[in-house]
Order: sequence, then structure tokens, then C-alpha cells
Amino acid sequence: MENHSLVQRLIARPEFGPFVLLVVEIGVFWGFNHDFLSPQNISNTLAFTVELGLIALAMTLLMTSGEFDLSVGSLFGFSPVLMWTLFNGGVTSLEMGFVVALVVAALIGLVNGWFVTQLKIPSFLVTLGMLLVVRGSALFITDGFPQRTWSAEGSWLAEALVGDFFIGPFRIYMSLFWFIAAAIALGYVLTQSRTGNWIQAAGGNPNAARARGVNVNRVKIGLFVLSSLMASLAGVISSLRTSAANPNSGTGYELEVIAMVVIGGTALTGGRGTIIGTVLGILILRVMRNGIVLIGVPGLAYNIFIGAIILGMMALHSWLERRHQAGT
Amino acid sequence: MAEPLIRMQNIRKSYGRVQALEDANFHVNEREIVGLLGDNGAGKSTLIKVLSGAVPLTSGDIYIRGKKVTLRSTSDAIAHGIETIYQDSALVTQLSIARNLFLGREPIKPPRFLNRMDQEAMNNVARDLLKQVGISKNIPPTTPIGSLSGGERQAVAIARAMHFDSDLIILDEPTNNLGVAETQGVLSFVRSARDSGHSCIFIAHNIHHVFQVVDRIVVMRRGKVVADDIDPKTTTVTEVERIITGMSDKEIRDAVADGKPSH
Repeated sequence: MENHSLVQRLIARPEFGPFVLLVVEIGVFWGFNHDFLSPQNISNTLAFTVELGLIALAMTLLMTSGEFDLSVGSLFGFSPVLMWTLFNGGVTSLEMGFVVALVVAALIGLVNGWFVTQLKIPSFLVTLGMLLVVRGSALFITDGFPQRTWSAEGSWLAEALVGDFFIGPFRIYMSLFWFIAAAIALGYVLTQSRTGNWIQAAGGNPNAARARGVNVNRVKIGLFVLSSLMASLAGVISSLRTSAANPNSGTGYELEVIAMVVIGGTALTGGRGTIIGTVLGILILRVMRNGIVLIGVPGLAYNIFIGAIILGMMALHSWLERRHQAGT
Repeated sequence: MAEPLIRMQNIRKSYGRVQALEDANFHVNEREIVGLLGDNGAGKSTLIKVLSGAVPLTSGDIYIRGKKVTLRSTSDAIAHGIETIYQDSALVTQLSIARNLFLGREPIKPPRFLNRMDQEAMNNVARDLLKQVGISKNIPPTTPIGSLSGGERQAVAIARAMHFDSDLIILDEPTNNLGVAETQGVLSFVRSARDSGHSCIFIAHNIHHVFQVVDRIVVMRRGKVVADDIDPKTTTVTEVERIITGMSDKEIRDAVADGKPSH
């Protein structure tokens, strides 16, 4: 096993498949339409990519621990609505509204985690229920109407989260740095830290982990909280950038995020996860959505391609897995 | 006579109206491999579950080196130096050998607030342990458990119990589903554990495997220990099989006494 060459080891990595796919994808789109790699298109694509990406990063850790969270899309819509409602009603400052939104999100994550670990209800059902509760609350608070958002100008919070500047011809939002920081931090947690070992063990063999004194429930609850917090942060960032707080925004994001994570090579069944893979998975899906439109395929056909990518990548991962299990 | 490492006295365990253990008495001495035999439903696994903290006992006492202990959970038992290795549930297949060895007790590299595992130290210890337990093949400690054979997995689990100074290692069917060579490997891991000062309880359906490795055989039947001092060197497999399947107490005494040197 140790004699394998560098190339062979690279190919054996779970991130290799997604990486090749991304390169091919970019190559094909660029071949069809050179505007695809224009600074403006790259800037636009990146702005939204990192918002979904923040959720996907947290979801990677949660899925590695053997659970997932369907309520992230609803939190993405709910948190900015809550923040703006508090602010517009004169109840709190924008910053304080942001903090309240995060605290509420953390509580929602706590409830998700409590139901899953203490009542032993599958995360699918718990977070599906939570999705409806949270989305319903957002619609109820707002009567279904978008909230006023134009008064964020000059707020230091808005500057820190979505302030933009130009590097050469590229328009960069601050959110990109938050995304990079989160990717590095969570990648570190998963691969280097003791907590990462517990996360993988909790998903791989929870009984073995418990027998070694690992508090599996606490690990999972913590990750549900993280997932809710990241979804909330992503929602607020998106709302500040687009100057919109629509109670319906984020609908369907949960499935897109889970697709990003599994395309990147994280196991849906838990035990194995990769942040690098997730970053690749995020780019693969966002590049696909952007590229399809640019080369003139009707946007409504987007899901056909996404579905095909998911199926193809799953086939590749399962093939690699079987080869790996065979002992190579 | 010196106080045994573990003494379980008048252990009763009932599940509703089913009496799984009825006044079972059992002990393990220091540096001893005890073979625990009995038919299905004889109470072996219940006795082991009580001792490993997995199920609470209904009544009875457990002593470790003469001191009475209460084992409320598996972590309680581990804290008291009792490590149970179940064949399939001991290890996380996705994690490497080294990460499994240190799961829950990972060494941290300073500065501590970074919570960073000292993977180099983990790998070094793992490499030594694999050698110590007798794995001759050169397996890197970063290998995931999933690509190891059943016998190698047992070796890793045993090595872990040895490293964390468990006084008693309980092996539940460690040779199940293993090939001949692998079984011999596991048996030699068990011997090396004893030779480095650990006691073991060895449970296996295959009596021949038990005979090859244990110092003393204990037989259970219908929730009771019916023979607890069978010397595998002087008793035959057939005799033990007769005890397992059921004979009168007198017949058992005769059978055991027959082959046993007086002491």
C-alpha cells in the first residue's frame, strides 16, 4: 500500500472524481462561451456560491456524523426576516437583530439535536418538521410579504458581511473571505482536531464511539447548532447583498446543499467526510447552473443536469469505495 | 489464597420473569485466561454484559481486587480496567488504526486550545503496539480498519485494551468467522496480552479454540456456573462438552476430579 506512486494515491482520493468533473465542466462551458470565464461572470457566480457554500460546509460535518438537516433552507429565509422585522419595528438595532437571529437559530439547532439524540427520531423527520415550523413562522410574521431592507447602508455589519471591493476586474464580496475562513476552520476541525475524530466515529460506528467514552449525542447536537447557525448567517448575508428579505427565500436549498456535499464525496450514511470535496461539490453545482444558462440551455432544464451529475458521482464513489474495500 | 482480580458473587439478573442469571459465582485471577463456555442461553453473555457495565444486575456483588464496585455503565467498567471487545462493534471501520486506538483519548499537541491531535505520536505508538501484539506484516498505522482482515481487527482491539492498561480484557467470540491462520494469530495475541500482565475472559463456541489458549475453563448452564475449575491440560474436550450439555452435579464433579491433579 505504501509503494503506490503519488499519482495513484491522488487518484484514490475521494476528492479526485469531483475535481476532474469540475475541470471538465469549466472547460466545456468555456469552450462554448468564452464569456463564461469573464471577470464579471466569475464575480457574480462567486457571490451566491459562497452563501450556499457556508451551509454546505456545516452540513458536511453534520453528515459525517451520520445526520442531516432539512431545515437549513427555511432558516435561510427565516433569519433575515426576523432580523429585519426587529429592526424595521424599531425593537433593536440591525446588529442586535442579527445577534437575536443567530441565537434563535442556535436554539432551533438545539431542538433539532435534542429530538434526534434524546428521542431517537431520525433526523429526516425531525428536520422536515422543523422546516415546516420555521418556514411557517417566516410566512406568518410577514404575512407572506418581503420585508423592507434598504436602510442597511453604512451599517458596519453589512460592511463586514457583504462589503465589496475590486481586485483588478473582479468584484469581491467580504462573504468570500468568511467562506474561505469557514472552509479552513471546519476542514481543520474535521481532519486535525480531536473533535473531528469524534465526528467521524459518531457517524461510522456510534456504539464503538460510545464504548470509548465519546459523547456522541453532544457531538451531534453541536453540529445541528452549527448547521442552523451557518444557514442563518448565509441567509443574512444573502439578504444584505441583494437588499431583500423574502420569507420564501431558501426554498429547496436543503436538497441542493445535500447534493453538493455528497457529490464532493461525503458519505450520506456518515463516517466519512471531506471539506475539500464539498468545496468542489459547491463549485460543480453552481458552475453548472451558471454555465447552462450562458451556453443557452433553458434554465428550466437545470435539474436534469444536476440529477445526472448526482447519479454519476454516486456511481463513481461507490465504485471507488468497493475498490478500496477490496484491499487494493 | 490471594484475592482474585475479579470476583462476582451471587449474581442474579432477571429480564421480567426470565431469570438469566441465578446466583452465579465467577472469578478471574491475575494474569489468567479464563474460558467461559456454555450453550446458547446459558447466561454467558448476560454475565459478561453485567461485568462490562452494559446491563445492571438485579442483585449480587462485584469485587475488583477485593474492593466492592458498582458498574453503572460501560465507561464505569472501562474506568475500572475492564475492557470488552465485541467482534463487530469495537472499531470504526472508516478511521485509521491509530485513530481507533486513541479514540476518545487522543493526545493533544500544544497549544491545547487548538485541540489538535498529535497524529505523529499516535502513529508511533500504534506501530509499536502492532508489533507488540504480534502482527508481523508491515501495516502502516494510517491504514483504515475497513481494509484489515477480521483477525487484524481483533489484534487492534486487543492492542488498544493492552495499551490503556485494562486489567481484564473480555473477548466475545474473537475467533468467529476467522480462518485457521487468523485464529492462531488471535490466540497468540491473547497469550501476549496475558504475558504482559493482563487477564482475559475468552468466550467462544469453538471449544477447541478455548482449549488452546485458556488456563482455566468455567462452564455455565441455565444461569448458573456449574463448573469453575476445569483444567484444560487434564480434561478432554468430550468431557467439557458433556458438562455443557448437562449432567448431574455428581457426574460433573467426577468428570472434573478424574483428570485433575489434587491440590
